[in-house]
Amino acid sequence: MAAGLFAAILLHRSDAPAGEAPATETTAPAGQDDARLLARRIDELIAFRWKAAQAVPAPPADDAAFIRRVSLDIAGKIPTVSELHEFLDDSSPEKRQNLVERLLDGPAYIMHFANVWRSVMLPEADSDRDIQFVIPGFEAWLRKQLTANTGFDVLVREILTVPVDPRLATNPFQPQSDVTPVGFYQAKQLKPENLAAGTARMFLGVRIECAQCHDHPFDDWKREQFWGYAAFFAGVERDQNGDKGALDAIREMFGRRELTIPGTEKKVVPTHLDGAQPQLKFRDSPRNLLADWMISSGNSYFARTAVNRLWGQFFGVGIVNPVDDFTADNPPSHPELLDELAREFVVHKFDFKFLIRAITASRTYQLSSRQTDKSQENPRLFARMALKGLSPEQLFDSIGQATGYYEPYANRNNVGMMNTGAREDFVQMFDNRRDSVIEQHTTILQALSMMNGQFISDATGLEKSATLSAVADFPLMTTGERIEALYLAAFSRKPREDELEKLVKYVDAGGAAKDPKKALSDVFWALLNSSEFLFNR
Amino acid sequence: MKINTRSSSPSLSRRDWLRLSACGAFGVSMSGWLAALAEEAADSKERRRSCILLWMAGGPSQMDTFDLKPDHENGGPYAAIDTSVPGIQISEHLPKLAMQTEHCAIIRSLATKEGDHARATYLLRTGYLPQGPVQYPTLGSVWSRELGNDGSELPNFVSVAPYRILSPAAFGPGFLGPKYAPLVVGDGNPFPGRNADYEKALQVKNLAAPAGVAPEQTDARLALLGEFETDFASRHPGVPPTSHRAAYLQAVRMMRSEAVKAFDLAQEPDALRDAYGRNQFGQGCLLARRLIERGVPFVEVSLNGVQGGQGLGWDTHMDNFEQVKRLSGVLDPAWATLLEDLATRGLLDSTLIVWMGEFGRTPKITNNTGRDHFPAAWTTVLSGGGIRGGQVVGKTSPDGMTVADRPVAVGDFLATACLALGIDPMKQNASNVGRPIRIADPEAKPIEELLA
Repeated sequence: MAAGLFAAILLHRSDAPAGEAPATETTAPAGQDDARLLARRIDELIAFRWKAAQAVPAPPADDAAFIRRVSLDIAGKIPTVSELHEFLDDSSPEKRQNLVERLLDGPAYIMHFANVWRSVMLPEADSDRDIQFVIPGFEAWLRKQLTANTGFDVLVREILTVPVDPRLATNPFQPQSDVTPVGFYQAKQLKPENLAAGTARMFLGVRIECAQCHDHPFDDWKREQFWGYAAFFAGVERDQNGDKGALDAIREMFGRRELTIPGTEKKVVPTHLDGAQPQLKFRDSPRNLLADWMISSGNSYFARTAVNRLWGQFFGVGIVNPVDDFTADNPPSHPELLDELAREFVVHKFDFKFLIRAITASRTYQLSSRQTDKSQENPRLFARMALKGLSPEQLFDSIGQATGYYEPYANRNNVGMMNTGAREDFVQMFDNRRDSVIEQHTTILQALSMMNGQFISDATGLEKSATLSAVADFPLMTTGERIEALYLAAFSRKPREDELEKLVKYVDAGGAAKDPKKALSDVFWALLNSSEFLFNR
Repeated sequence: MKINTRSSSPSLSRRDWLRLSACGAFGVSMSGWLAALAEEAADSKERRRSCILLWMAGGPSQMDTFDLKPDHENGGPYAAIDTSVPGIQISEHLPKLAMQTEHCAIIRSLATKEGDHARATYLLRTGYLPQGPVQYPTLGSVWSRELGNDGSELPNFVSVAPYRILSPAAFGPGFLGPKYAPLVVGDGNPFPGRNADYEKALQVKNLAAPAGVAPEQTDARLALLGEFETDFASRHPGVPPTSHRAAYLQAVRMMRSEAVKAFDLAQEPDALRDAYGRNQFGQGCLLARRLIERGVPFVEVSLNGVQGGQGLGWDTHMDNFEQVKRLSGVLDPAWATLLEDLATRGLLDSTLIVWMGEFGRTPKITNNTGRDHFPAAWTTVLSGGGIRGGQVVGKTSPDGMTVADRPVAVGDFLATACLALGIDPMKQNASNVGRPIRIADPEAKPIEELLA
């Protein structure tokens, strides 16, 4: 029985025999904060598995690799050359930690994670123009939560309980005016089954939507359970007097508290996935009861799913992978670690910044992405940092950072057909890069656009690129210094000796055009088109 | 292709696989004969077939194209004319196509439920309704993957002037991944003015190096890039650098290939270009022929409006008859010339041409002399190779409001097209949510009498 199974998983949160993993150190050195302790715990549990698998971890990432990686992961773009210099010149032993704090306090963290969470919560909006108008209001709401560093429990409660009221619905004609998560309901087309499937997948890491039409084939979910869960959303609906999709008025009928399973006569009432049927209250949305249950301490799936997703964001692979597929057939690679991360997440009031501090402070996160041993090929051992693909936004903003291109903010986030900015064109060209981050594919059109497109040719042309023209025209630099500057801008590192030697020769000879300045632009072009630039390493 | 002449039973492993497959295990209603059919189609490897999809954005009016009711008040002002096939009549505004009806199978009994552009577009172009997180791929991605070659100079899927704004996911490779994304040419943008130069838009974007960069310089740049890549891949082996290199190689191969001259329509005689029609759709059909000729297995050409990229040109809520007449004036010469041109080159037998939009239009004429969205009883057409042309399947009631005979579901229609192309519609692909998805709806019953 699935309810029994679910309850069993809730009670026995890991399947690993007790005593297999090393015990937590109880004597923490005074003054070391909880994030550092958790980072050490991460490293212990990861290293424990290396031993069992006879894996040899990669060496630690150097400072340059670290700042590039952590800037992309937290701020959504590569560092500027001056940030890079400042960091490389800093001799403080705490400098990596300080950098993380600076990034977490900056506006780019808020912009980037609003984008990340929006794309997780409203994946439909990436492709469905019909509902793209809800993005600005939803992202504005996310930015507000991220600015206040709202706990994830509170954030999810707000999504689950926001009044579904026509007066609060996002208006497609004034999308910038609303700061509300109600777009979540509009994106799910106000359908109980979509809301059930979406929330279960996002907040519980279970894919129960297969049970919508029949009992789940892999897992133990029954059709009745799916519809019992969906019944919490039974009152949510679109005003039926029209067929304009998401543009229609929306509302919730509190009195409607049951659903009929399609194609049957069977009616179901709101029932939690663990089988409990809560006592419904008069004139109150059943969604409030769902939210209570969802974030309650009895439901460990909630915290485990959240930390697993964040882990996946930083490592490219979840501890449970795919990150929203918690089933008996898909066990976590490190069950104790998942439990501990979840426990600490709850203790720290569902604070993502706390988790980010812990993850980025770990030796595991700070490993080089360079493969030094065959055993590092298994990404689920975390024995080297995976190469992560960039989201379209990360890529665009990083090209801007490297080349000195800036687009006025006003061009961003416009709705639908009015959007004609370079960023929008770019995001569209590179869309579809959000999935399977560690196995990202490049298309021919993307390659052509990077090689020959207007945006890149401006960015690597001597006339329009701020970075390139500065580097090429500054009088007192040697060729080697010019090449080094381009490396710092694009790769966030200095060239190695062998690289420098070859490229100085190339530029001094003037390349194919017999013109050293043009040869510099060739180097910059090749840097920006290379995998080292196009991936987070 | 032989059909039903052999009663081969599916192999055990295949049947086991079907039984074991996830959600499919509950949705399977595949009778033995369909399995046999599919097997046979999949077996005939020597058949190299191609598909051209003529996509009618906005939903074309069946009552004013292929299912006329001149004797009924719903019929409107158009006359029905005789065609090359005795007993079949179509619109007077499709006179050239009428001469080629022996190549066309008209299905007058499509019955669907989606009356919303975005959802219906998704349904017709992927074969599935949008459903949770599953990213269903568009037909071109799925079918070209079956028909195409990995190593060809040109991409296997080219899309001409798609109008994607209302339902972009219906135009993409979905869970198959970017490798199966279409190469897009032509401008589907709805704003007037941007399409004035449709000929330029039909060329591949970014195929030429940036202005001022000479070929030797491009070579030098690629050589530098090659060194970076070799070095990086040796330190970071895995999918990302491999896929990067593959895409760049293919892009460069295209930049330098002879086959890319397919996009140079100026190579065609003026008379032929005129015959196709000097507009984006007409020239897009000519381009489709040039691509098919060079081995591209799937090309789609969108007819979004008379002027090119107008958007949902067939969405004739107002002034239906004037608009459909003008659209027919673009459609008719392009399609008829395409059939003729393919036949002349011996390509017609191996090329299936699919004509469809997302739904039909209301039989009842509105107060605005328009017709609204109507999914209950409408028309699609298969023409060219792999099918038995010169016939009509299904029938609507005298007022056009209901299907009177042989209702055809989207899955039935698409599975038929698959079989005409030699594709096994029941083949499964791994999806982004971990469960396998069939090429066509597992409930589909192909229209047997249409298959050649």
